[in-house]
Amino acid sequence: MTPTGEVRHVEPPAAPSMDGAGVALAVRGLRKSFAGRTVLDGLDLRLRSGEFLALLGANGCGKSTALRCVVGLETPDGGMIHIHGREAGAARDAESARLRRRTAMVFQQVHLVRRRSVLDNVCAGALGRLPLRHSLTPLLFPRELREEAMACLDRVGLAARAAEPAGRLSGGQQQRVAIARALCQRASIVLADEPVSALDPVAADQVVGLLAELAREQRLAVAAVLHQPSLARRHADRVVGLLDGRVAVDAPAGALTEADLAALYAADRRPAEQEHR
Amino acid sequence: MDVRTPSRPLAPPRRPRPSAATGVVVTVLVAAHVLAWQGTEFSPAALVEGWRGMADFLGQALPPDLSWSRVLSPGIRAALVTLAIGLLGTTLSVPFALGLALLAARTTTPDRWAYQAGRSILSFLRAVPDVVFALVFVTAVGLGPFAGVLALIFHNTGVMGKLWAEAMEEIDLGPRDALRTNGASGLQVALHAVLPAVVPQFVGLLLYRFDVNVRSSLVLGLVGAGGIGFLVNQSIKLFRFDEMVTHLMVVMALVVAVDQLSAFVRRRIGA
Ligand SMILES: Nc1ncnc2c1ncn2[C@@H]1O[C@H](COP(=O)(O)OP(=O)(O)O)[C@@H](O)[C@H]1O
Ligand SMILES: [Mg+2]
Repeated sequence: MTPTGEVRHVEPPAAPSMDGAGVALAVRGLRKSFAGRTVLDGLDLRLRSGEFLALLGANGCGKSTALRCVVGLETPDGGMIHIHGREAGAARDAESARLRRRTAMVFQQVHLVRRRSVLDNVCAGALGRLPLRHSLTPLLFPRELREEAMACLDRVGLAARAAEPAGRLSGGQQQRVAIARALCQRASIVLADEPVSALDPVAADQVVGLLAELAREQRLAVAAVLHQPSLARRHADRVVGLLDGRVAVDAPAGALTEADLAALYAADRRPAEQEHR
Repeated sequence: MDVRTPSRPLAPPRRPRPSAATGVVVTVLVAAHVLAWQGTEFSPAALVEGWRGMADFLGQALPPDLSWSRVLSPGIRAALVTLAIGLLGTTLSVPFALGLALLAARTTTPDRWAYQAGRSILSFLRAVPDVVFALVFVTAVGLGPFAGVLALIFHNTGVMGKLWAEAMEEIDLGPRDALRTNGASGLQVALHAVLPAVVPQFVGLLLYRFDVNVRSSLVLGLVGAGGIGFLVNQSIKLFRFDEMVTHLMVVMALVVAVDQLSAFVRRRIGA
């Protein structure tokens, strides 16, 4: 953020198709408040296919809320969400539901079903396109789905653990299974909310590296909330910093300055007004 | 300054006086007990005077009649019927309890109306005691164990559905949200995120209900719904208290065995 409080917007050197084609996710003027308290205050965000975006910002600045609005876990009060150029409206109508299936979410707490096998958890990513007769129990998952899920697991390096209960894997491995579940969903946009905040540095680097690779190799649009600027600098293409529900920094990862970070996280040192729920 | 000699003695706070409300509550409670004492014709004197009746009863009841072919063998066979009533009554209520629990749990219900409907049905089934259901079904399908099974299915659906719905409301909602975001339907989410998380609690509650239901099916026998309760009732009517004691011993063995089995399995699955 500049001293004048404007968005510090740095254009990447040769911006590939900033408009139209290539934009997987476009969020415009997103607003959301909880009990009269504004959390998202006109958020704008663009995410291109093949791009790995790191979202930074102090606790409570609205990062999770923004991602949850995009995947339909929260209903925004205002603003527009375009997925591959088409508007995703209320979560209930069929067309929006189909569009939202292109977006997958990866959570800090992983949210796998611990008692089920790794493979069954990955297959569950495909539930949205499976008829009920093939999804009453994991026993009915079709063979092609199992094979596809194995390929997804192989992509995250965990094919050998497919038969084990998910709860038995380490935190980093579970997070990679969650990413495989997103792949099995055939999502083209992957939103990760603090995917590595609970992981040790080595596992964290591995998971963020995996997300970056998937963006590049499979042309996925990936946005991840990260709390370590070093990870963002090393792996991300672009960094967006949120402050009080708006974009305050939007810059190529290499151009992220210490002053940007100081401005973003100054909120953490303010009294608890940001913190309480 | 020395804390033991303050310049001015500090008055310790007064204990609060019992308030008027406390007095009213105590008065009402005492009055209620006096009325209850009269209402139930409670009379220690009658108990003392009746000692002779008790002695007569014990004299007739002891020693128990352990003749194999006339008492013990039919008793054991009837006890197995009681066990069968409890088993079927529990198992056959599972699909109904599960369906209603899915409606009546906030984590899985499709909408507010289904939620209210599910909860109302469960409340009704729970509120009507199994003995009352048994009396109704005895008139409908006649004396015998079948009426007992039907009664247990109805009542147990109410109790187990409520317990299961509560178990589902207590789970971590994360896996449910995760599946919702990938477009899974409500039923798919229930089948793949909610139910797998509560399997141990469900099995534990099921075993607990089996244990309770075996004991209830004894009482159901007293109102004519088959099993060893029926034999106990008959012995009392014929003043064969020595037979009755034998039957009660069989009952005790059955209840202890079921209780142990259920506790053992629950320990094994950690529920
Ligand atoms: N469901 C909710 N109900 C009420 N307040 C919420 C809810 N979700 C988030 N908030 C509040 O919104 C603010 C932003 O939360 P969040 O988006 O989780 O921030 P971040 O992920 O950036 O730390 C926080 O102050 C939080 O307390
Ligand atoms: Mg958050």
